Amino acid sequence: MAASKLVPSLSRASLAIPVAGLIAVGAILPLAVFVVISVFSVDFDAYVLVPDFTSANWREILTHASYWVLIGKSVVNGIVAVLMTGLVGYPVALALSGLPKTMKGIALVVLLTPLYTGEIVRVYAWRLVLGQDGLVNALLMGLHVISEPLRFLLFTEFTTHIALFYDDLPFMVLALWISVERIDPRLIEAARDLGCRPLMAFWRITLPLTGSGLAAGTFIVFALAAGEMLAPSMLGGTSGATPMTMIDSLFGTAFDWPTASALALTLLAVLVVTATALAGLVLVLSGGARYLRWRVA
Amino acid sequence: MIAVSPDPEPAHFSFLTARGLRKSYGRGGYGQSPAVADVDFDIGERAFTTLLGPSGCGKTTILRLIAGFEQPSAGELLLEGVSLAGLPPENRPVNTVFQSYALFPHLSVSENVAFSLRLRQGTGSIDRKVADALAAVHMTEYAERFPHELSGEQQQRVAVARAMIATPRLLLLDEPLSALDRKMRLHLQSELKDLQRRLGIAFVYVTHDQEEAFALSDTVIVMNKGRIVQTGRPEDIYARPVDTFVADFIGGAVLVAAEIKERSGGSLVVATPLATYTAPGLETLSAGTRAALVLRPEAIQPCAAGEAGAFAATVSSTVFHGSGFLVGADVAGITLRYVAESAPEPGSEVWLKILSTKTFVTAVTDGSL
Repeated sequence: MAASKLVPSLSRASLAIPVAGLIAVGAILPLAVFVVISVFSVDFDAYVLVPDFTSANWREILTHASYWVLIGKSVVNGIVAVLMTGLVGYPVALALSGLPKTMKGIALVVLLTPLYTGEIVRVYAWRLVLGQDGLVNALLMGLHVISEPLRFLLFTEFTTHIALFYDDLPFMVLALWISVERIDPRLIEAARDLGCRPLMAFWRITLPLTGSGLAAGTFIVFALAAGEMLAPSMLGGTSGATPMTMIDSLFGTAFDWPTASALALTLLAVLVVTATALAGLVLVLSGGARYLRWRVA
Repeated sequence: MIAVSPDPEPAHFSFLTARGLRKSYGRGGYGQSPAVADVDFDIGERAFTTLLGPSGCGKTTILRLIAGFEQPSAGELLLEGVSLAGLPPENRPVNTVFQSYALFPHLSVSENVAFSLRLRQGTGSIDRKVADALAAVHMTEYAERFPHELSGEQQQRVAVARAMIATPRLLLLDEPLSALDRKMRLHLQSELKDLQRRLGIAFVYVTHDQEEAFALSDTVIVMNKGRIVQTGRPEDIYARPVDTFVADFIGGAVLVAAEIKERSGGSLVVATPLATYTAPGLETLSAGTRAALVLRPEAIQPCAAGEAGAFAATVSSTVFHGSGFLVGADVAGITLRYVAESAPEPGSEVWLKILSTKTFVTAVTDGSL
């Protein structure tokens, strides 16, 4: 307290400077390198990068539909994951916030435990569950709901969406849970008192007051799902190609670093713009934007 | 909805009735004794009724049971003879003013007030009704502000407007003034009382402040440990407390152990460490029982030395309270309190006498005296 008054630069905000610097260096430096490489070309005889400042790589990306199909699939993966985790996340977050204090700690551990299983383990677990002779088919056939195994369960886009939903649900639930916890339960009672049925109280009070949490969850889940490579490529079958697999092979196998850089930068721009637009849309639609405005003011 | 009996109900004066109302939380731990233990009461139409008691006595729980936020463990609530059981809060003709105000932080003052109207109908006459409600609580010029831009008192006014615009049959108020300073509290008390008369609806008010309860109420229900101890008009509760808990909680009377010698007419003859007095008392008390003599400041008077019935006491404290001094004086191990125009020197001797008609003999609650 006294120190911050004597030395104005020692404010609380200044504590963030080292980390902010680290993030800036860690994020901006590689991007700057990508920007530079993206205008190079490759001498495939000598396997060296040639700094000849060409726009050929960018033209390649912007004019070929196949890159945009991949980027589009990535965006769709992100949006579907946001919708699914949002729809399922709200009831879960509301239920968690209603638990007694001791139960909340246990619930948090249960919620986060799947993150410890490791992605590759989860991928093979999904294969066991959703495969032709997997648990789901065996169960449905055992109950005589179906007579032959469902084939769309594994190695389709459906599988990709299920896996991404499962992987990213904890992040959406956490973001929503934190914002639900901050709502005074009296506000819900007041809404009921004034004539709201429970669902109406959710629309009018809970949703606007948790809009910032939903927007944060949207941003996180979209980034995770749209940027995911392993689950789509190992569970999505022929539909499982993503821009990331393309970037991987361009960098690694083809030694076409300039095209890979241009694609990576394009993908980054599209995803950041989409995520920001989505989060903004969520804020406005939930009514949370207004709430946020006065809270900042 | 609820089917109302086609037979005309016999005339009853009770608007809201509680029968054997009970609420217990959980099992084990501190939830052993119920928050509300088998309570009966009747609340009159258009009456201002106050639930008064120390914190944890169950008064707020009763309010929450009436509002429908909690379900009774046993017993029932009847509104004009019709059970409220199973009716969710949104379907009860009851609205609540919360202790924490509970204004919606993302809505402006006028949107908060219009909340219940917007649920029911289009935008028709809403604006005019909101303007009227805000005018009634003197908040017209704050219509476009947000709750966090208002003082506690202003938020409380908005909360009242928001609840009354829903035209409840019964308005519940949970310690609505407890967060305000004394001057504002007194001011809003008279406004609330005025509002209740104008609206002509029943108010049920919860407070731990007996002054507030007396200032506002037609009927006071005194509660302790989940039970109703006494119900009556404020002046009756003050003059005729049913036991030492009520006497002590209301107006902080000095209680003196008394043994009942005999009953003479409407009065009781009691022996106390001070002297033997003939005083009014509870009808239920009989000779030989242990009781307590309730001595409020107005029952004790300074007098000349040696006057009939007078005794000497030693001044132990003086507190200035505006119109005079509240003097504490010790005699026979008891500290009596009385009002004097000037402050006697602490340690000095004063002569006092007891005006026995202004005292009251009451029952002893377990653990007191």
